Amino acid sequence: MNNQDLIYHYFSNSLTAEQEITFKKLLETDPDFKSEFDYENNLKKAIKSHESDALKTKLQGFESELKTPKNTNFKFAFLAIAASLLFLMGWFGYNSIFRTNYDNLYASNFTAYPNTAYSITRGDDAVSAERDAFVAYETKNYEKALDYFNEIPEADQKKYIPFYKAQSYLIIDNLEKAKPLFIQVVSNKTDFAAESTWYLALIAIKEKNKEQATDYLEKLIANYSYNQAEAKELLKKLN
Amino acid sequence: MESVQENITIEDLKQGSDRLFKEIYEDNREKFLNFARKYNLSQDDTIDVYQDAYIIFYNNVMEGKIEGFTSSISTYLFSIGKYLIFDKMRKNNKTINPDFDLSLIRERDALVDASFDLDLDDLTTEQVLLKKHFSTLGKKCQELLTLFYYRGYTIKDIIETSEYTSENVVKSAKSRCMKTLKERINSNSNE
Repeated sequence: MNNQDLIYHYFSNSLTAEQEITFKKLLETDPDFKSEFDYENNLKKAIKSHESDALKTKLQGFESELKTPKNTNFKFAFLAIAASLLFLMGWFGYNSIFRTNYDNLYASNFTAYPNTAYSITRGDDAVSAERDAFVAYETKNYEKALDYFNEIPEADQKKYIPFYKAQSYLIIDNLEKAKPLFIQVVSNKTDFAAESTWYLALIAIKEKNKEQATDYLEKLIANYSYNQAEAKELLKKLN
Repeated sequence: MESVQENITIEDLKQGSDRLFKEIYEDNREKFLNFARKYNLSQDDTIDVYQDAYIIFYNNVMEGKIEGFTSSISTYLFSIGKYLIFDKMRKNNKTINPDFDLSLIRERDALVDASFDLDLDDLTTEQVLLKKHFSTLGKKCQELLTLFYYRGYTIKDIIETSEYTSENVVKSAKSRCMKTLKERINSNSNE
């Protein structure tokens, strides 16, 4: 066991009695050992203080949540809630009877696109941001997938990456980031151009933009064979 | 509420659930404020002490210094709180009011033994510098070093609870993080 291992076991509370004796002896006799230990021990204190700050901020947040209800005028709050309920009921009533229900249309047509681009094999030791990204994507951990997708160096960017990044953004409801990526795939005419057109139509539906949704669906029907039937059906429901 | 807490184990808390963290804080708050009333602190000071006591308790759980609850969580909080209040009074040179039972805090309570870390200590210059640069590290490095040093995880524990796949991956990730930290500190001191 080298000195570095001794320090490691100290911090993970796993020194044996014998190792502890060696450890204490080294602290007294070996100045390099002592200075490395002091450095890591200081780091431990620094991290603990960093954690404590974060906890304190959280607790202060709880405290202000506890204090807020007392300050609001109950009668006024009640009226405000009642008024907004009436307003919402009116709005939803109107919307569901006379308008296309865009949210339902989106929800009944959206499915996350499966990973068909990168095969993750078991026992595969290759460590790469791309592999990590697709593992996260397949386990529906889209935020994490995006972190990894964004870590892939420029030179290793495969043509399908923008499509899966766009998918991940769409699933976590970040339409602003998803849209330009899908548009990029369509204009580069790469593998997922048809699929991207379909998802752009769905985004337009989500944004209640009937004109744009119609436009994308018509493009999909005219130029590609992907999801033809679904696109025609959706067009009918929109108009 | 009481019954919920009685069933909470150290292991539950160590999972780091935000919901539990909040629940325990809120459930013990009134009790603590009542308990601290006799020390004549302002409401804001008492809440401040309660929060610090709670953080000390939580840190000790996370660092593995409490192996199992030998008492209810509120008893832990009272013991730590008493110590903090006394410390605060000493620092402010406040006269302790006549009802204050010194024997209560002269010794650390048996409950809170010698391995229990009671200090939310003031940092040395070097520690301040480390803290400053630690917070500029990437999220992954921060998490990894926190597991190592704050939680006292072994490499095996880390592999079990995170996405790291082997001992070597953990070791090399850690030494990369430590190297970056050292570089940042060195470039800071050259400025």
